[in-house]
Amino acid sequence: MKISFPHMGYSYIAFKWLVENMGHECIVPPEPSSRTLDLGVRYAPEFACIPFKILLGTYLEVVEMGAEVIISSGGMGPCRAGYYWVMHKYLLEEAGKDVKVVAFELPRSDIMDFWKKLRWLRKTGGISVKEFIRVFKTAWNKIMVIDDVEMRSHEIRPYEIHRGDTTRGLWTALDMIDKANTLQEIQEARVEGLRQLNQIEQDRSRKPLKIGIIGEIYVVLEPAANHYIQIMLGEMGVQTDRSIYLTSYARKNTIVNLEGDVFEVAKPYLNEAPIGGHGVNSIGETILYAKHGFDGVVQLAPFACIPEIVAKSIIPTVSKDYSIPVLTLFIDEQTGKAGVQTRLEAFVDLLESRREVRERHERLVI
Amino acid sequence: MIKAYLGVDVGSVSTNLVILDANNQVIAGTYLRTNGKPIVVVQEGLHQIGQEISKDIEICGVGATGSARYLTSLIIGADIVKNEITAHAMAASTVIDDVKTIIEIGGQDSKIIIMRDGVVTDFAMNTVCAAGTGSFLDQQANRLCIPIEHFGDYALRAKTPVRIAGRCAVFAESDMIHKQQLGYNTEDIIAGLCEALVRNYMNNVGKGKDIKPPVIFQGGVAANQGLVRAFNKYLGVEVIVPEAYGIMGAIGAAMLARRASKKKGKTKFKGFNIQEIEFKTTSFECKGCSNACEVVQFFENEELAARWGDRCGRWELH
Amino acid sequence: MAKIGIPRTLAYFLYYPLWKTFFEDLNHEIVISPPTTRAILDAGVKEAVNDACIPIKLYHGHVAYLADKADYIFCPRLVSVRKHGDFGTETFCPKFLGLPDMIRFGIDHLPEIIDTRVDLKKGKKELFNVFCEIGSQIGNTHEEIKRAFSKALKVQKQFDNLLYQEILPPEAMDIVFNHKPAQVSHDNCDLTIAIIGYPYVLYDSYINAGLIRLLEKENVKILTQDMLSDKTMNRQAKTLPKSLFWYFSNRAVYGGLHFMARPDVDGIIHVTAFACGPDSLVDRMVEIEARRRRGMPYLSIAVDEHTGEAGVRTRIEAFLDMLRYRRDKI
Repeated sequence: MKISFPHMGYSYIAFKWLVENMGHECIVPPEPSSRTLDLGVRYAPEFACIPFKILLGTYLEVVEMGAEVIISSGGMGPCRAGYYWVMHKYLLEEAGKDVKVVAFELPRSDIMDFWKKLRWLRKTGGISVKEFIRVFKTAWNKIMVIDDVEMRSHEIRPYEIHRGDTTRGLWTALDMIDKANTLQEIQEARVEGLRQLNQIEQDRSRKPLKIGIIGEIYVVLEPAANHYIQIMLGEMGVQTDRSIYLTSYARKNTIVNLEGDVFEVAKPYLNEAPIGGHGVNSIGETILYAKHGFDGVVQLAPFACIPEIVAKSIIPTVSKDYSIPVLTLFIDEQTGKAGVQTRLEAFVDLLESRREVRERHERLVI
Repeated sequence: MIKAYLGVDVGSVSTNLVILDANNQVIAGTYLRTNGKPIVVVQEGLHQIGQEISKDIEICGVGATGSARYLTSLIIGADIVKNEITAHAMAASTVIDDVKTIIEIGGQDSKIIIMRDGVVTDFAMNTVCAAGTGSFLDQQANRLCIPIEHFGDYALRAKTPVRIAGRCAVFAESDMIHKQQLGYNTEDIIAGLCEALVRNYMNNVGKGKDIKPPVIFQGGVAANQGLVRAFNKYLGVEVIVPEAYGIMGAIGAAMLARRASKKKGKTKFKGFNIQEIEFKTTSFECKGCSNACEVVQFFENEELAARWGDRCGRWELH
Repeated sequence: MAKIGIPRTLAYFLYYPLWKTFFEDLNHEIVISPPTTRAILDAGVKEAVNDACIPIKLYHGHVAYLADKADYIFCPRLVSVRKHGDFGTETFCPKFLGLPDMIRFGIDHLPEIIDTRVDLKKGKKELFNVFCEIGSQIGNTHEEIKRAFSKALKVQKQFDNLLYQEILPPEAMDIVFNHKPAQVSHDNCDLTIAIIGYPYVLYDSYINAGLIRLLEKENVKILTQDMLSDKTMNRQAKTLPKSLFWYFSNRAVYGGLHFMARPDVDGIIHVTAFACGPDSLVDRMVEIEARRRRGMPYLSIAVDEHTGEAGVRTRIEAFLDMLRYRRDKI
C-alpha cells in the first residue's frame, strides 16, 4: 500500500523508514508550505485551528502524490485534535478524495483496536511478527536520535560565528540518520552528527539569553508552522529549550522532565488536569522555566486553541508571581513571518535590558 | 562640526526621517508617504532632509527601524537596525523620564509598551485586525466625506458621543451607517468612532496590561484631539502627546544610532545624496534542497550588495 | 445565611432549578445576574482574555456584575456529568474545566468562589457528595444538606419533565417557580423547526437577538435537543464514527441527528457561538450529515457580540420562505 502520515518536524525521517520497512510504499509528506495551508484553509471550517488546516492540506497533497492510506492519531479529548481524523475523513470524502484514513487511538483507551490496526499494517506489508518488532524498535531509535541532534543544534546555534553553520550541520546529521538502517548505524550517525555539530566554529564568550518554548504540540514541533522560531531565536543569539519532543516522556534530562509532575506544579493556578492538549503543561512549564533561571518564555499556540486560551488567561498571573516575561504568539493563516520577527526582536530586547538591570543591581549589592 | 545622528523609520504607510543633535534635540525632520515604494521614498527623503540642515552638521551614526528596517539599512548604510517597539520606547523615555505606558497607534498597526524604571517590561502589538489602528478612522473619514485632519475638531464639538459597536472595522462601519440613518449628528458619530477605536484598542492590545500614568500617546494618529479625549475618558488619566508624536520611531532610531556609534566609533552612512545610486531587489528560488527557499538579492548599481531569505545561510553575503 | 451569586448563563439554563431550590432551602439568599445586557456583554469583553469565545466572555461579564453584590460566586467546575463517549471520557469543553481559575485570575475583587468539582463519571450518586461539599463550604450541616438536596432533585425532575413535554427552559422555569400554567399552543403553527446548539446560546435572547421569539411570531413550532431524553439522544451515538468529547456538543449533535430522522421536522437551525472551538467541528459535521441524511434543510447562524436583530431576522425569514416554497411545491 502507499502510505502517508502527518508532517511534524523532522520525525518524517523515522516514519518513512518505518513504513518502508514494514513492506509498504511511503509517500513522504512534503514540508508544509503556503500551498499546503491554502489547500487546508479552502476545505476546513473557518474556526478550526491551524494544525487542523495544515494537516488537511498535507493530506490533500499526499493524495495527489498517490497516497492510498493516511495514518493518523486519535485521542480521548477534551482537545479537539483527538477528533481531527473523523473530521478530516468527512472533509476528504466531501472533496471527493479516495483515501483511507486510519487513526490509532491511544492503546490505553482501546487496546484491541490498537492491536487490530497494527496487525493489519503488518499483514498487508507481509512481514513476520519478529521482523515487525525489530522494525518498530529501530524506528523508535531513529526518533530518539533525531531529537538528540536537534536539541544539540539549539544549544549551539547562539554561539555560531557564521550564520547557517548549525542549521547545515543539523541537516547533515539528519541526512546520516536518514541513511542508517540498523541500530548500530543509527548510533554511529548520532555520534558523528553530534561531533560535527560540536565542531562548528563558535564564540563561547557570548552569554546567550535563555528562552523556554511552550505551548500546543503541533505548532511547537513543526518549524514550518511556527516560522522556524527556534532557528530565528538562535540566530538572534538566544538559546532555546523546548518543552515538547516526541521522545520527551522517555527522557529524564530535559528541564520539563526533571521536576516530575508538571500538573502538580501548575495546581495552584489551575486546579484541574488535564484540560486537553498542553493547557495545564503551559502553566506548569512557565513556572519550571522560571525556577531554572530562564530569562523568558514564548508560548506558541494555534489561534482559537481552547486549552491554550485557558492557559493564556492565567499565565499573566504566573508571569508576575515568578517574575518571568512571557510572550504569547497565537498563530493562524494570517500570521506573517515579519510580524513574528518584530515581536521576537522586541521581546529579546526586553529580556536583555532586564538582565542588564538585574546585573547592575547584583553588582551594587556585591 | 556639530555631531548629529540620523534615524529613519520606514513603515507600510509612512516614512519618517529625523536628525538629532547630541542632546536628543530635533534638528530636522521629514514625513513622507511610503506608497509602496520604500527605496525611492528613502532616497528622496534623505535628499530633502540633507538640504534642510546647515553644512557644519556631521552625521556620526545612523539607525533604521520600521517594518522595512532591513532594506532601509542597506540603502542608507545604517549602523544599527532595531524593531519599532524598542525604538518607540527609547524615544518616549526622552519626553518623560519615568514614562510607564506608551500608546502608539500608526496607520496599520498599533502597540502598547509598558515601561518601568526606563526599561520595557511588557508590550503587545495588534493582531491582524485593523479595528484599533489609524486606517479604521481613515476609512470612516472617507465615508463621511470629512478630511481626516478635521476629525478631531468635529469630535471635540460632540455633546453626547454615539455608541458605535464593532469588534472589527467592517462591523463598525455598518453600525455607523445605521446610526447615520437614525439621524444622529456627525459630530456625535465622529466622537463615537473615536471612542470605538479606543475601546477596540484597549480590548485588543491593552488587555491585561498594567497601565499606569504617565501615559504617552504617540504615532500619526495622536494628532486627533478626539482620540486624545477618548483615551483620557477611558483611562481616567490625562494622556500626554509629545510634540514630535508622528516621528517618534525615527527619533528612537537616531538615539539608538548615537549609542551604537559610541561603541563603533565610525559610521557606515552613505551620505544624503544617493538618488543617483540605483537600488534594486530581485529574488529566486534556491534549488539546493527540497526547502526551496526564496532568496532575495539586493543590488546597488548592478552590484550585488546583499542576499537573504535562505535558511541554511549558503547564500549569505554581507 | 449567605448571599450566593449565580451568573445567568452557561449551565444556568438547564440546572438552575436544582441550584436555586438547594440554596433557598438552606435559607441562603440567591443573587442572580439579570438577563444579558449590553453592559454585561461589554464588561465581559473587557474582562475576559481577548481570544476567548463569546460564551466565556459573557460569563466573565455576569460574574463581574455579581462581584460586589454577593458573598460567594457559584462557579462549580463542571468536568463531566456522565460516563459517555467512545472511551467514557466525555467532559465539558476545556474552558469549562478551567473556568473557576480563569475568573479567579481574570477579574479583580471577587468574593470567595464556590468551585466544587462536578465529576459524575462514577455515577449519578456522586452528585450528593458534590452538594455536601458545596453545603459545608457555606456552613450547613449534613442533615440540612440532605434535606435540601432531595428537595432540589425533585424540583429539577419536575423541570426536566416539563422540558420533555416540549416546553422551552425559560417557560418551564416560570412554571416551576411562579406556578404559571403552561400556555403553549401550536394550533397556528404550520412549520416545525428544530433548533440545536448550546443552551447558553439558544436561551439567551440578548446574544441570539431574540431568535426564539422571532420564530414564534412566524408561527413556527420550536423543538430543541433539551426536549429529548438522554436515551433518545444517545441512540444517535452509534451512527457516528466517534462521539465528540464535550457534553453540550454531543447533545447538540445527537439532537440534530435525531431531528433529521423525524418526519414532523421541516428544518434544522444550528446556532453557533463565535470563536467556539468545538462548534468549528460540530457545525460542519452536522451540515454534512444533514445533507447525507434525507437532505434536511439546514441553517447555521453564528452569534457574536454584534449580532443584530436585522441580521438574524433576514436569515430566518429567508429560511422559512425556502421551507414553505419547498413544501408548497410538493
